[in-house]
Amino acid sequence: MPTRRVSLLAIAAGMFALTSTAFAADPIKVGVTIAQSPPGSVSQGTQVKDGAEVAAKIINDAGGVNGRKIQLIFEDTQGVPEKARAAVEKLITRDQVVAIIGEHQSSAALAGIEVAHRYHVPYINTNGWSDVIREKGYAEVFNPGVFNSRVAIAVADTMKSLGAKNVLAFCENTDYGVGLAKLIGSQIAERTQGISYKYETLDRASKDYLPAILPLKANPPDVIVEILLPPGAYILLNQLNEQGVAPTAKTMIYDASGIADYPDFWQNVGDSAVNMLVFGLYHPKMALPELGKKVAADYTAKTKADPNRLLFQAADSLFLVAEAIKAANNSTKPDDMIKALEAIKWSGTRGEITFSKEKSGFKYHQWLDVPYVTFQVTKVKQPVADMNLVQDPGKPLDLSRIVKTK
Amino acid sequence: MLTLDLLINGLVIGVFYALMAIGLSLIFGILKVVNFAHGEFYMVGAYAYTLSALSLGISPWLSLPFALLVGLLLGLVVERLLMRPLYSGYTSWGVMRDEYAVIVTFALSIFLINIVDKVVGPYAYKGPALINISRITIGPVAISGHRLVAALLAVAIIVVVALIIRYTFWGRQIQAVSQNRLGASLAGIDTAKASAIVFSLAGGLAAVSGALLANIFNPTPDVGVFPAIKSYVIVVLGGMGSVPGSIIASIILGVLESFGGVYISYQYRDTFGLFILVLFLLFRPQGLFGEKAREV
Repeated sequence: MPTRRVSLLAIAAGMFALTSTAFAADPIKVGVTIAQSPPGSVSQGTQVKDGAEVAAKIINDAGGVNGRKIQLIFEDTQGVPEKARAAVEKLITRDQVVAIIGEHQSSAALAGIEVAHRYHVPYINTNGWSDVIREKGYAEVFNPGVFNSRVAIAVADTMKSLGAKNVLAFCENTDYGVGLAKLIGSQIAERTQGISYKYETLDRASKDYLPAILPLKANPPDVIVEILLPPGAYILLNQLNEQGVAPTAKTMIYDASGIADYPDFWQNVGDSAVNMLVFGLYHPKMALPELGKKVAADYTAKTKADPNRLLFQAADSLFLVAEAIKAANNSTKPDDMIKALEAIKWSGTRGEITFSKEKSGFKYHQWLDVPYVTFQVTKVKQPVADMNLVQDPGKPLDLSRIVKTK
Repeated sequence: MLTLDLLINGLVIGVFYALMAIGLSLIFGILKVVNFAHGEFYMVGAYAYTLSALSLGISPWLSLPFALLVGLLLGLVVERLLMRPLYSGYTSWGVMRDEYAVIVTFALSIFLINIVDKVVGPYAYKGPALINISRITIGPVAISGHRLVAALLAVAIIVVVALIIRYTFWGRQIQAVSQNRLGASLAGIDTAKASAIVFSLAGGLAAVSGALLANIFNPTPDVGVFPAIKSYVIVVLGGMGSVPGSIIASIILGVLESFGGVYISYQYRDTFGLFILVLFLLFRPQGLFGEKAREV
């Protein structure tokens, strides 16, 4: 009998060892929520998908996270809050992901973080700009991307540098659009003097913006700030041009949404975007850390396309998950990962990322020093690399580089 | 001067609404069903126009009739494959179920959006202009050359369709079926053929509407959803099944949205039509030109 008992124990021990080995080699599942079909921005969704895949390949080719490969599980949110909520629920409960990344539309992120918060799963918000996402104060949510307050400060400073007196913003009717339009107003009031500012909300689904544009013909503003995602942004630019409102010698267009690097940009705007100023989170002339160069090169090899801002943001989101697991001694427990992310100081694709621990307002778990630039479109069909860089990261706007419409 | 600008914009938009709504109205008139895939005929037309011109390099003036042809064929195929069970003999007319039409057209709508999304891609495509004049200025009014030409073409198409329905042999048969399907059938009219013609014509009109607007509204797979909603409102306002009613309601809605967007609120512009719709349903449910009731 003792012999039999020993044998059973040996088998049990062997099975345990095998199970443990298998467990150690199990992939780390990371959920990625993106818009892969309308009405969400599929352009953005595709860029985020590519960025996450490039980062996953880099991690896995280097042996994974301490031997465990990264497995991405994509869910289509269509940019719709209720679908984003369902997607996060499915990723956490059915797929058992250790973290969620990828969201690029604020309304969808605001829905998704509620579920991540309920299940206490880390949520790296790749590109939801709305400040409300951080203002919720959820410990699970981290933001390595830009945020509306930072964009609003950039816009206000640019308006001041341009010497604008009368500024009008057209924003889309989303959390992102209206939120940013309001913040620009507050920042203009706080940081400048003598600038009259107002905003007009446009419906993303509607295509006829002329009733909002026609009154401007009599009294055009100095600058029109565009805060819409495609295709609404394209239609607005075309209709402004059709009516002769902008771009003109009197009125400049400032794109606060960074649409000039979208793959369908030139297919849709033609000469309507010439001399438009663009708020940018990436320009090929920006200096990148080594990891950024590697990601850019791998992306171009994979897609034959030029790098874009969302590529880096998505890649950083996934790298952060991997770094957090490493820093937590290979633990994928939410509390360990959150603690690791709070303490992280890591050189990503765009610079050194740390998250603010200031609990009040939009700063909570936000990377505050996201680099940005301003560039100007000067020709039709111009590649981003040839667009005129008029503001380097961390520097003021260089007025001497700006081309005016005649 | 703003008033003139707004009036012209309202009229132009109204004409495009009319082109879209006439087809829906005809379908309701003859089949007594609402086609929930009507917006997707518009989308298919917009893509047929844009992609044939951009990919094949053919003139936009040839792409336009091509889009019309695609819409006509799509309408015909949908009628034969999906709508025919609704009226496969006048005896079944009495037991026709609205549920069938709602489910089938809804499913068709979702299918078409997704098939275009997967096959063509999700990105927006600006259609080519019929004439390459970015801005024509007439007094205080500025309008793109394409928008002007497209609006004139839309008016011409509406006039031709109205004449066909009023004066041609098949047009009169369509009118007869619309007034009383059983009576028309007893009089020897091929009601199934009339239905096929109407569905095909409606598909063609929606498609050509999408094609004409492809340069202005940069089509995406879901581009038809919004104009379809407008069309439903217009058809009810004009009187279910009434073509003249649909035309007048389209113009009214276009002008109202244009002026209301400036003088009331741009944000609520798309609710004006719905507000009027509620008023009509309360006080004149038959619409502008509709009948109070049908009796046979």
